[in-house]
Amino acid sequence: MHPLFGRRFGLALYALAWIAAGILLGELGRLAVPQPRPFAWLLAVPPAVVLGMSVLSAWWLCRANPLQEGRVGRAVSVQLQAAAAMAAAWAAITGAWGVVVLRGLRHDPAALAAFGREWPLVPLALGLLAWLLSAIVHYLVLGFEATHDAETRLLEAEVAGREAELRALRAQLNPHFLFNSLNSINALVGSDPEGARRMCEGLGDFLRRTLALGARDDVALAEELELVDRYLQIEQVRFGARLAVERVISPQAAACRVPPLLLQPLVENAVKHGVAGCVEGGTLRLVADVRGGALVIAIENPVDPETVTPRGAGVGLENVRRRLDAFGARAARLDAVREDERFTVTLRVPARTGEEQE
Amino acid sequence: MTSETTVLRAMLVDDEAPARALLREYLGSHPDVTIVAECANGFEAVKAAAEHAPDLVFLDIQMPKLDGFEVLELLEPRPHVVFCTAYDEYALKAFEVNAADYLLKPFGRERLADALTRVRERRRAAGTPAAAVPSPAALAAAARPEGRFAERLLVRDGANVHVVTLDALDLLEAQDDYVAVHAGGKTWLKHATLAEVASGLDPSRFVRVHRSYVVPVDRIARLELYAKDSRVAILRDGRELPVSRSGYARLRELM
Repeated sequence: MHPLFGRRFGLALYALAWIAAGILLGELGRLAVPQPRPFAWLLAVPPAVVLGMSVLSAWWLCRANPLQEGRVGRAVSVQLQAAAAMAAAWAAITGAWGVVVLRGLRHDPAALAAFGREWPLVPLALGLLAWLLSAIVHYLVLGFEATHDAETRLLEAEVAGREAELRALRAQLNPHFLFNSLNSINALVGSDPEGARRMCEGLGDFLRRTLALGARDDVALAEELELVDRYLQIEQVRFGARLAVERVISPQAAACRVPPLLLQPLVENAVKHGVAGCVEGGTLRLVADVRGGALVIAIENPVDPETVTPRGAGVGLENVRRRLDAFGARAARLDAVREDERFTVTLRVPARTGEEQE
Repeated sequence: MTSETTVLRAMLVDDEAPARALLREYLGSHPDVTIVAECANGFEAVKAAAEHAPDLVFLDIQMPKLDGFEVLELLEPRPHVVFCTAYDEYALKAFEVNAADYLLKPFGRERLADALTRVRERRRAAGTPAAAVPSPAALAAAARPEGRFAERLLVRDGANVHVVTLDALDLLEAQDDYVAVHAGGKTWLKHATLAEVASGLDPSRFVRVHRSYVVPVDRIARLELYAKDSRVAILRDGRELPVSRSGYARLRELM
């Protein structure tokens, strides 16, 4: 629908403007063909309002024929044809109305004759002009809206990217992980004070690294994996022999740049929804390699076959997807596959080894 | 011997060894508490409870196989329960299932002592009114995430627990105080009423065709008129079930 129709006040104002234009036209007509004011206004105002409403339809035509490169000629020709048709239709309407008013209502053959001398050239010219003006204004409005939309989209994408980063950071400092770790320390204080100290140190180191990495735009995969190692060391205190870790990282992969804190939530999911759900625990496998210009990272964990859905895992994956988008990696992909008792998340990111970009 | 000095037979259920060690250490200073079993998952807990009939269970919530609420659903008779978890969002559910206390990890000696005081008070006030003990259905409802239907049924068979995923379920049949759960050619008996079990199921997938039968809609092959106003449902496996008038109305809404 035309944007004016959505705003009652705007539409009323627009109609008023055309009534005013009609009155002006009537006054001009009186200069050419002297006659009483009411008749001059009656003659001009209704056709003016009809014209005003009709040229609003230029909006649909403007939208259907945008002024894009290579299509300008077509748009201009379409608009000219529409203007001609509009002018012809309006001339017919004014002519018929003139006959009704001057012959039927007033019965003034002299005025009718004078009117006939001006018709159809004046209404044709006015109709043409009105349509073309309307088309120009509509193109301006549409162009303004398009730039505005593009700006909004750009801003939205930026905000979404920042939000995803923040969420990643917050997920990083998962309070339940902290609470459980503190509980483990609490237990170790009684039975193994030296172990409790080591765990305090490990937890502190992990938190400091998290904050440091989170403040950067991209990091080497090796740095991210060091953080993951710290995390897994802490979890191994909680889960003991149930959590085994296997790493196969190629040197080329380790040098690639990735968004910071990208793997961390995935590894945390693998522990929380995978290994922790299995009575005997299992092995978490981390594999990274460069294949055909792409860094491929796979995180594989066991799942209990009777687990119906890994609760909350979807949010984590969605978050990682958004981070990849925000990282500007159009070619990046994330796949999650569950095969019986193994769950694998595979990330594909263009392999870049350049320095940090600011 | 007065109830004051009665020994509390306690069971520790947590999948993390350090968490169990902490409870063991704290409980060491309460001579009236004896630890009868330590379990690392829900199955072990149900088995150990059948063997030891503990008075008190310290129960973690997020564990392999069965979560804390599911374990509770399967414990008969009901011991006193103290939940121990790092998650505060289950506190309301814990209250609904009449837990004695809810300990948030990490917790200290004093907090555990408070929880034990509450348990002792509850025991002293013994003869807890029956109304205060929630039904298995209420427990099962508490075990489910908010606003969601059950995804699996738990059946206790002596000390063992069977998990029946609802995709595998063929038929539920009322048998006195039990519900016969037919799935994949096997049958288990669950101690509950059919209404209790049915209340947790998604009504768009499972329909109570008769007072004694609940069947997955997609297992029904066809309906046959067998006498005036009386119908039978023929299941895909050939089984025939009577369909009551209200059951037919429910079916017609779904099919």
